[in-house]
Amino acid sequence: MRRMVLYPLVALGAAVGTLCFGSPASAHGYVSSPPSRQALCAQGKVPDCGAIQYEPQSVEGPKGLKSCDGGKSQFAVLADDSRNWPATAVGTAVTFNWVLTARHATSTWDYFIGNTRIAQFNDGGRQPNATVSHQVSLSGFSGRQKILAVWNIADTANAFYNCIDVQIGGSGSPSPSPSRSASPTRSASPSRSAPVATKPPVPSGTAWAANTKYRVGDIVTYDGKRYQCRQAHTSIFTWEPIYTLALWLPV
Amino acid sequence: MRRAFAILIAVILLLAGCGTPVTPKQGVLPASDGPHSDYDVMFLQMMISHQEQGLEMLELGRAKAVREDVVNLAGAIDVTEAEEVQTMRTWLSSWNVPVVTVSDPGNHAAHGAQPATGPAELKALQDATGTDFELKFLNLLIAHQHNAVEMAQQQALNGQNAAVKKLAERIELSRTQQIKQMLALVSG
Repeated sequence: MRRMVLYPLVALGAAVGTLCFGSPASAHGYVSSPPSRQALCAQGKVPDCGAIQYEPQSVEGPKGLKSCDGGKSQFAVLADDSRNWPATAVGTAVTFNWVLTARHATSTWDYFIGNTRIAQFNDGGRQPNATVSHQVSLSGFSGRQKILAVWNIADTANAFYNCIDVQIGGSGSPSPSPSRSASPTRSASPSRSAPVATKPPVPSGTAWAANTKYRVGDIVTYDGKRYQCRQAHTSIFTWEPIYTLALWLPV
Repeated sequence: MRRAFAILIAVILLLAGCGTPVTPKQGVLPASDGPHSDYDVMFLQMMISHQEQGLEMLELGRAKAVREDVVNLAGAIDVTEAEEVQTMRTWLSSWNVPVVTVSDPGNHAAHGAQPATGPAELKALQDATGTDFELKFLNLLIAHQHNAVEMAQQQALNGQNAAVKKLAERIELSRTQQIKQMLALVSG
């Protein structure tokens, strides 16, 4: 019964996001790490963000703004500092990594703290690579800061806006942030690091559930039938055993 | 609005237990019976091309990613998308339509879609190693799946065939959840 209720609600949210907030073709890019506010919304770490969670790449507005929401009222949540956005702990330099869904010819990438531009990267109108990273020095700043990252498009009047909350020079992130695995090599041991926002491994034969980590060989039940996992994964809706022979074998 | 209303009705029916949860055969989506349009054909051809390009990226991810969670996610997306591609190919051939490889990004753009990940990006991935590889891989795949969502949303609005539209809805939903997982991995 739970599945029957949850599944359509998830779908509905996505559909409404599409319907009400413009053409999906107007979507283009955002900072994924350290996570921008729209990335935190899209990954579900910050709840109740509204439409932005389905299109984090769409915060487009006229050039020259200093706003987290690009001046778009439907994304106003991004400019709401009272939302207690988690801040990522960083050192005196930080590398910003972008997700680009459409690679527009670019004039500059600008980074601001308050009204101070702390870095600029000039692409001179070129099309950027599919992955873009910038290392930015934060020397002279400390504590919690809100960094505005702006992607200025060369051949339109528009730019894309991101705010990234950081805690400079300390581990004082107000929210628990997952730590990167210390080991640079893949472990061959059967022990597994705790997944982020994922439930612990389930006893064999329990009902399939979304957001659950399944290992090869795990047995679940779904609609009264038993299935065995054949490819390790963390489950999502649409990967129910009845739909994915590639993930689940009937047993 | 018509679509929103239809979805709302569907949700209400489901909540009320009036849905028709006809369980399809495992791994098999409903047959693409019924009328179809040129848009349905174009969507399937574009999505096949898009996913086949993604499969190359995913193979690299399975082989080269550092963290087990990333390797497993790449593997699961790889096998489920390969399954989808098979279904889409079957539908096209049941309509006697050739599977045209739509590999030119300009071609995508001409249809109002987003450019796909091209050979240059794959080359950059092939050359990268370690955590640098993983970061590039995740950011490329996130963008790739955002593009799939955009294409699926267009199909939901413009397509005709019921089975293809259903597939598009599933693609939108699954890629959105994959992006969620990848954003956690890329910032974690």
